[in-house]
Amino acid sequence: MLAQKLHLLRHNVLSFVSSRTGSDLTRRQYDVIVVGGGHAGTEAAAAAARLGAETLLITQKIMTIGALSCNPSLGGVGKGQLVREVDALDGLCGRAGDSAGVHFSILNRSKGPAVWGPRAQLDRERYRQFIQSELLSTPRLTVLEGSVDELLVSQPNPEEPGHHRVTGIRLVDGSHPILSSSVVLTTGTFLSGSLFMGQTTSPGGRMGDAQSCAGLSYTLKETLGLRVGRLRTGTPPRIVKESVDLSLAQLQAPDKQPTPFSFLNTHTRCKPEEQLPCYLTHTTPGVERVVRESVHLNCHIQQDAKGPRYCPSIESRVLRFPGRRHQVWLEPEGLTSDLLYPQGLSMTMPPELQLRLLREIPALHRAEIRTPGYGVQYDFVCPTQLTPSLQVKSTQGLFLAGQINGTTGYEEAAAQGLWAGVNAGRTALSLPPMALSRTQSYIGVLIDDLVGRGVTEPYRMFTSRAEFRTYLRPDNADLRLTPRGFEEVGCVTLRRYKKAVSVRDGLQEALMALQSVALSSTRWREKLGNISLSENKSTTLNGLDLLQYKDVSFEMLASAFPECLSQYFEYSQRLKIEAVYRPHCEKQSREMERIRSEESLSLPSDMDYLSLPVSLSQEVREILDRVRPNTLGAATRLPGMTPAGIIHLLNYVLRTGQRNRHTEHRNRSSQKEGEKGQLCASNIPISQ
Amino acid sequence: MLPCSWGLWRSAIHTLKTFSRASPSARGLCIPTRAVCDAETIFALSSGHGRCGVAVVRVSGPASSMVLRNMAGLTQALPPPRTALLRRITDPQSKELLDRGLVLWFKGPHSFTGEDSAEFHIHGGPAVITAVLQALGSLEGVRPAEAGEFTRRAFHAGKLGLTEVEGLGDLIHAETEAQRRQALRQMDGELGRLYQDWSYRLKRCLAHVEAFIDFSEDELIEDGVLNQVDSSVRQLETEIERHLKDERRGERLRTGVQVVIAGATNAGKSSLLNTLCQRPAAIVSPIAGTTRDIVETSLDIGGFPVLLSDTAGLRDSSDSVEREGVRRARQRVEQADLTLVVVDSTQLPPDPQLVAAFLQEHLSTVLPSPEAGMTAASDRVLLVLNKSDLVPEEQRERTEGELRERPGLPPACFLSCSTSTGLEDFLTVLQSRVKTLCGDPLSGAPSLTQARHRAHLQQSVQALNQYHQYRDQDLALAAEGVRLALTHLGRITGRVGAEEILDIIFRDFCIGK
Repeated sequence: MLAQKLHLLRHNVLSFVSSRTGSDLTRRQYDVIVVGGGHAGTEAAAAAARLGAETLLITQKIMTIGALSCNPSLGGVGKGQLVREVDALDGLCGRAGDSAGVHFSILNRSKGPAVWGPRAQLDRERYRQFIQSELLSTPRLTVLEGSVDELLVSQPNPEEPGHHRVTGIRLVDGSHPILSSSVVLTTGTFLSGSLFMGQTTSPGGRMGDAQSCAGLSYTLKETLGLRVGRLRTGTPPRIVKESVDLSLAQLQAPDKQPTPFSFLNTHTRCKPEEQLPCYLTHTTPGVERVVRESVHLNCHIQQDAKGPRYCPSIESRVLRFPGRRHQVWLEPEGLTSDLLYPQGLSMTMPPELQLRLLREIPALHRAEIRTPGYGVQYDFVCPTQLTPSLQVKSTQGLFLAGQINGTTGYEEAAAQGLWAGVNAGRTALSLPPMALSRTQSYIGVLIDDLVGRGVTEPYRMFTSRAEFRTYLRPDNADLRLTPRGFEEVGCVTLRRYKKAVSVRDGLQEALMALQSVALSSTRWREKLGNISLSENKSTTLNGLDLLQYKDVSFEMLASAFPECLSQYFEYSQRLKIEAVYRPHCEKQSREMERIRSEESLSLPSDMDYLSLPVSLSQEVREILDRVRPNTLGAATRLPGMTPAGIIHLLNYVLRTGQRNRHTEHRNRSSQKEGEKGQLCASNIPISQ
Repeated sequence: MLPCSWGLWRSAIHTLKTFSRASPSARGLCIPTRAVCDAETIFALSSGHGRCGVAVVRVSGPASSMVLRNMAGLTQALPPPRTALLRRITDPQSKELLDRGLVLWFKGPHSFTGEDSAEFHIHGGPAVITAVLQALGSLEGVRPAEAGEFTRRAFHAGKLGLTEVEGLGDLIHAETEAQRRQALRQMDGELGRLYQDWSYRLKRCLAHVEAFIDFSEDELIEDGVLNQVDSSVRQLETEIERHLKDERRGERLRTGVQVVIAGATNAGKSSLLNTLCQRPAAIVSPIAGTTRDIVETSLDIGGFPVLLSDTAGLRDSSDSVEREGVRRARQRVEQADLTLVVVDSTQLPPDPQLVAAFLQEHLSTVLPSPEAGMTAASDRVLLVLNKSDLVPEEQRERTEGELRERPGLPPACFLSCSTSTGLEDFLTVLQSRVKTLCGDPLSGAPSLTQARHRAHLQQSVQALNQYHQYRDQDLALAAEGVRLALTHLGRITGRVGAEEILDIIFRDFCIGK
């Protein structure tokens, strides 16, 4: 019996809740199956379940669900924005960070609120516990321990583009297949993964875990014919805290008042005074010497798989920028952990040399290693083969998220996981897929970069990737995403929605109140004391204009007009930020609208560019055929694409779209659906 | 290739329902709900270039009425729509008289583009045209039109039917081709190097600010990086401003249709130049490789200005001076509006049936690769079969019959530069080609591109001001200024993507965390 072979988490934890208790044990049909229990997998499973899909999460080891396999921290510049956005769409990682954080700080505090980077050091144990208990209390979500052997694939639905359709999975133990409408693969570094330490190589994706995924690799590469590439990453040795002479390192204190990641939280679980410090130290010429002496014993560093330029091992840093001092951060692993994590010292040399290297650093001169560092090389699926909903173009119902798409980082994985889960759920519930615009969110930037351009090295988020950085701020992620996450996507719970709406209305009122107080600049100077205003004396300024000035705070204005402003004290920081950025965002709105409208015209993924009956040069046809852009916007960004080609393409899609709209309308009116006359072009089969 | 920058599709397109469509309520806080119809106002010289009595400058967009008021001195009411009015046309800033001409006002939607529009019918001299275009460019919210932009706006306003749209792609292609050649012409030389250098320095500035934003918290990136950026930005501002103030505006831009003579050595290219300009402008000798540098001469062909260039014969040479001459020749062909490929007819195969294939092959060695948009079949190439007096009459006639209306080959003319036989026929063909080319509003109209460059440079300087303004208050907004400046400069030198900036960051800094 299937049920006997499955090790349901239910055995371990009492608080298991399911809408169909009992029958779950023998259930073999789900809406969505998520493979993998890392940052992408957990967000995907939770999002699909929130949407209303019966969801099954399959992981190799239940106890490693929510494990932080590398650094014990969350957020940062760019990454913090992603966490805030995942939270705004009701994802898990923001709240998990608030629960597990032991050292909170806002990076870039002096550089402008648009690029603030909320960040926290985490307690590994607390993080895992939070994610696990959160998943277990999610209705419609079942967790199963097991290894997936293969994907079940059948003929495609002829109504939609694609060559295959996924129908479920089969486990390694050879049991019955488990069927589903969609499958989300979040297998991280486990796709043909190999581990490297010194001269030894072993198959696997993470030290201490089973290797697996050989069958999955086969299905993806051979059955589905997906193009894969190879990337590498690594992790540093973990050091016994007691063996470190912290007096030789520089203490880095957290923020006095921790700022929570989640819009739902007003404070973090860790009290301000309970926070742990980090320590900063530096490499020495001795470190460089050890690296140079050990190169011939270091397989990982010699092999030519693409490693990242921004999170390189200490070996590649030293070889690429010799003669420099490099920073090493010693980070706590948790409240009760006796380990330190040396950020910046990821290495793959033999363990005895790792120890020698560490001891070249004064603070680590008698350091002991608990587990040595190692490198990982793994396959990723070239993400240009995905749609903006993160579905594999050729395979209906198959979604990919996380490192399998060539990204690096927890936050990048979580963001994709959430969006893949949303679309897997929507597909299973027969709702059209959805795309996030790069004008509206970092998640949109991330996905658009991945599917539009592909990756050549592990992709990490930077704020400089976002054209509309001054609008995509950490402070307004809730306003950008939560209302629509509830109204249109369905992945946001009512409680969060209500909160976001009340914040939005409150801010709106406050902005109006600010605009309603208008005085001449002379009068403002009288009211607020000696502030420098560039406008001439008779110019009338309202409160919002005034708030743009560097030296003016909302509190100052509220004390000048307590009767109409003091009730908005809770929004004072957000109002200040809004006032400063608003004029710039307005200037950008036209460019945003342009990009959005180009993104909104999708090109069918099965378009036969080589024989399309329009006037396109052979060169342009070949470019289009090779890249197969998802939208007209993506097509215009292709190098080699001509303006004339775009016009012809637009015209063609427009004509065929209109023809299809007529038939669509007929079908719709019979169903009496009031869908605002808009339709999803990606659903339109293009008839030649 | 040209970057494709497109206006708004929205009105014409059924939109994909994406999550990205902001609902008005959600956007209320930051992005104004105001419709996006407040497009910029654009202008362009709409009449053909060449020697013409009247030139028409078109303006379209919401600021059109402001433009009319400012430049035609209409302080009171606007003229009734679609009625010509004789006015003094003045510079809006200096109030200097530029010309006396007709102005017309078209209230949207009853105009070509569907927007508010205006037309200036002015005298056709290059000085007047340039002055009016520059005056327009100096007005706020008014900029030179991009290739095909008027037509595109008309399309979005639903002013063009679908059948007309079919032609639109070709039209834009034609305009873009003309622009590409023109840009090439201008990017060649001092001016191009100057712009490229600014672009490079600006890229570095941006990369260093971005590195400071994205990595300084974790990495050893000192504050000194920003101080360097401060002085670089200031230096750039000064240089661009000085350039804008320079009345000579860099090098003298050439006007006229560019006709280039190209071909193998000793085919008689220099003889053709001398024949056409009726004076021995180029040295002619029986020695192959006599012409080494470009020889230029201005001509008037059928009333149109033509700049004729003779180039070095194309062959592999071990002589470094000649090699340079060949390189310049190829470059000139790439920038040409019209190329005259000269062939020595005594070298043609005696069997007339083989001539077409021979010429096809020959053209492929002379003309740039087809990706550059120039093919043998293009109407930008003429074949001149020189030394016809040395070929037996009967063979020439049979060859002519064979080549007539041959698809895939440009028109071919037999000609003898030494006896002038066939010159009349050749001139007729040449004249009609030049005339067609002059109908192309953009070919040989550098003032328009020049006005565009000016506008982008001005916007670039303004954006750099924003950097200083916010440098100490908000680095994200300061960086936005540098980004914007680079975007404007990129309109001249090519778009700069985020990846390029990241490349510089990772080259200049060791990012380790």
